[in-house]
Amino acid sequence: MAGVLKLLLKPIKTIKKFSLLGKTSFIVILLILLVAIFAPCISIHPYNVSSGPPLSPPGGEHPLGTDELGIDLWAQICYGARVSLLVGFLTALLAALGGGLIGIVSGYLGGWTDKILMRIIDIMIVLPDLPVMIVMAAFFGPSLLNIILVLALFSWVFPARIVRSQVLMLKEQGYIKSAETYGAGAWYLIHRHFLPEVFPLVAVNMVRLTGRAVVAEAGLSFLGLGDPTSKSWGLIMHHAINFAGIYFTPFWKWWLLYPWLALTLMVISLAFISRELEKMADPRMGR
Amino acid sequence: MPRKHLLIILVLVISASLLLFGCGSDQTRDDQNAGVASEEQGQVDVIRLEGGDWGYPSPYAHYPRGPGGFKMALIFDGLLERGEKGLIPWLAEKYEIKDNGKQYLFTIRDGVKWHDGKPFTAEDVKFTFEYASKHPMVWSDIGSDDIEKVESVGDRQVLVTVSEPNASMLYNLGQTRIIPKHIWENVDHPKEFTGPEAVTGTGPYRLTDYNKEHGTYRFEAFGDFWGPVQKVKVIEFIPVSEPVLAFEKGEIDLTGVSPDVLPRFQNNPAYKVVQSPGFWGYRLLFNMGDYPVLRHKELRQAISYAIDAQELINKVERGAAVPGSAGILPPDHVMYNSNVKQYNLNLKKAKDLLARLGYDRLDEKGICQNKDGKKLSFTLSVPDRAVRMAEVLQEQLAKAGIEIKVQSADTKTHDARVRNNEYQLAVLGHGGWGNDPDYLRERFGGLFKGGISPSASGLQGYNNQELNDLLEKQCLEMDEQKRKQLIFKIQEILAEDVPEIPLYYTTGYSVYRPDKYDGWMFMFDHHSLTHSKLSYLERD
Repeated sequence: MAGVLKLLLKPIKTIKKFSLLGKTSFIVILLILLVAIFAPCISIHPYNVSSGPPLSPPGGEHPLGTDELGIDLWAQICYGARVSLLVGFLTALLAALGGGLIGIVSGYLGGWTDKILMRIIDIMIVLPDLPVMIVMAAFFGPSLLNIILVLALFSWVFPARIVRSQVLMLKEQGYIKSAETYGAGAWYLIHRHFLPEVFPLVAVNMVRLTGRAVVAEAGLSFLGLGDPTSKSWGLIMHHAINFAGIYFTPFWKWWLLYPWLALTLMVISLAFISRELEKMADPRMGR
Repeated sequence: MPRKHLLIILVLVISASLLLFGCGSDQTRDDQNAGVASEEQGQVDVIRLEGGDWGYPSPYAHYPRGPGGFKMALIFDGLLERGEKGLIPWLAEKYEIKDNGKQYLFTIRDGVKWHDGKPFTAEDVKFTFEYASKHPMVWSDIGSDDIEKVESVGDRQVLVTVSEPNASMLYNLGQTRIIPKHIWENVDHPKEFTGPEAVTGTGPYRLTDYNKEHGTYRFEAFGDFWGPVQKVKVIEFIPVSEPVLAFEKGEIDLTGVSPDVLPRFQNNPAYKVVQSPGFWGYRLLFNMGDYPVLRHKELRQAISYAIDAQELINKVERGAAVPGSAGILPPDHVMYNSNVKQYNLNLKKAKDLLARLGYDRLDEKGICQNKDGKKLSFTLSVPDRAVRMAEVLQEQLAKAGIEIKVQSADTKTHDARVRNNEYQLAVLGHGGWGNDPDYLRERFGGLFKGGISPSASGLQGYNNQELNDLLEKQCLEMDEQKRKQLIFKIQEILAEDVPEIPLYYTTGYSVYRPDKYDGWMFMFDHHSLTHSKLSYLERD
């Protein structure tokens, strides 16, 4: 019991050490998370069926107005938070898991495996990701799962490189050497020594990957490559922009502005949190 | 310290780009002035329009949609052209219909030259008809067995004998683009022939630049053109990201505007706003060949009753459209029958019809199912610009207990899917609704000419013998009034049978600056100002 409590207390302690900016960012993310979880309770209107006159301005029955089909924007943004967070976290998780594993294998085994994996990583880093993502999203067809997979496919290289360098460094440490001489197997070393050392770094990276994935998903949806009927923030903006002559009408003031605001808030908050965490993981950053 | 450097660089970059943008707009302003200078004769040097890649403008390589086909038509002439009121003599000076529609005698114009300077002769016309029967053109108006034989009578006359009389044959023959014999006679694969010679025509414009990647075209007036003076010397199609913005900045000279933006241009003498006739429409297709459930007339009627076209128009087109007529032909059509059965929103009737088919119970999600548990759930394929429409349809049909799953693709992929019958339900939007009603025969008579135009594709598994007989009869009927009666009857049958649902015909607005160029016109059966060739030529 005490162990569990300790595990819960640890992140809280970490957050306590955050600067004011970091704390605010954390609260914003927490709020977005709550909005996403309780979307059905806090949105009065349905998110996929029209509930009022088209393009009515904010105020009254629709706090953030409605879009061209008369669908409530607040509801769409609430449900959109689900999509954005889901894509962000799942992508980051997949990328961190895959990348971490590849990094450990590459660093620990060394030799040809390492060389081949590193060259693949080099290629992936050089490849411009957005064009390739567009091609792949267009090829595999628009669906949320595909987007997550495509994004993860382009995100694993960052954790992989970091983990590999860490493992390379750890491998030469005296206590690892001695564990090896006592007959510790690869699996034992990985989960007993490498993972605990590498985890904080991967966690920091995950936050950053989440932000990146959220933006990329919005970008792909914005270009019309997302799931056409899901309600992600990028897709709301896509529909708004595709509305003929939106900038010549007052409609952009709510239809485009609010999803953009939500997206920006979330991405900026994630960026600040990742910076705070980085500061802690690497004291040299704190200059 | 590096941060400070970064800031300075950033500021420099931003100011540099601002400077560049400034220069850009200056340049366009200069061009505009140049346009005004020579305006006294109503002529203009350059007209710029929204670009986009619509294929190489040869009769065999362009994309089978308006923006592709009508660019091609600037280069290639037909024997007849579509004027403001009807067909007008073009490469043919006059024509005679002989033997009750079995033979057509065209007298071709003298002194016409191809773009490469060679004279245009009756041989070219004969060659074209024979070649087009063998290799159907993209906008194929004549099929492989439509023409029995073509003879040239002397130097300037061509006698076409058709297999059987057909009321729309004059239109089809007249619209076929005439291609030069001396270039095409050795071409075996016309679709792959895309050299510079492939765009040699007799038309008023020559293609001087085409860039597939940027989607740009440049057409220059042909000096030795036989016909009316070109009032526009150069037509350029340029890439545009936001058409209305580009129009306001003077980058393009004509654009379509949505009703919401209209107030900016209305009541302003500098602009002229024109509403298009409703000849561009969306239709809902049923793949009756692969999905037998769709063969039930009652189901299709129920879907018709469940769709509120006016809501679609208000939300998706912001009011700029007219609801579809169940008889297919739009209200602006010369042979429109206003007395056909119409399906206004009526959920009760829709549910009654579904119950009659056995779909009389609802599952927990409110979807109709029959006693075997078979649900009314369909996948609707739409082009990506109609996703919003699909969402409205989804909502409307859900009220009648029909579940719709939306699948979207870009326009060209979607066109191909519909062409190959890879869909269950599909929304297809295209022009040509104002054409000769013989297109009804192509769509519903189970007769497919091999053309790849979206207006011809998308119906299989539908067969109604009475309708087929009437469709065959109308095209043999050369008397206009009697034919109209037949077409009226055909519309009544179509309205009862609902082989497809015309959702609405758009009546969008175009805006242009009359000071710069005021020659725009609509062809009698078409929705777009920029598509008509005569828009760029001197008219009386």
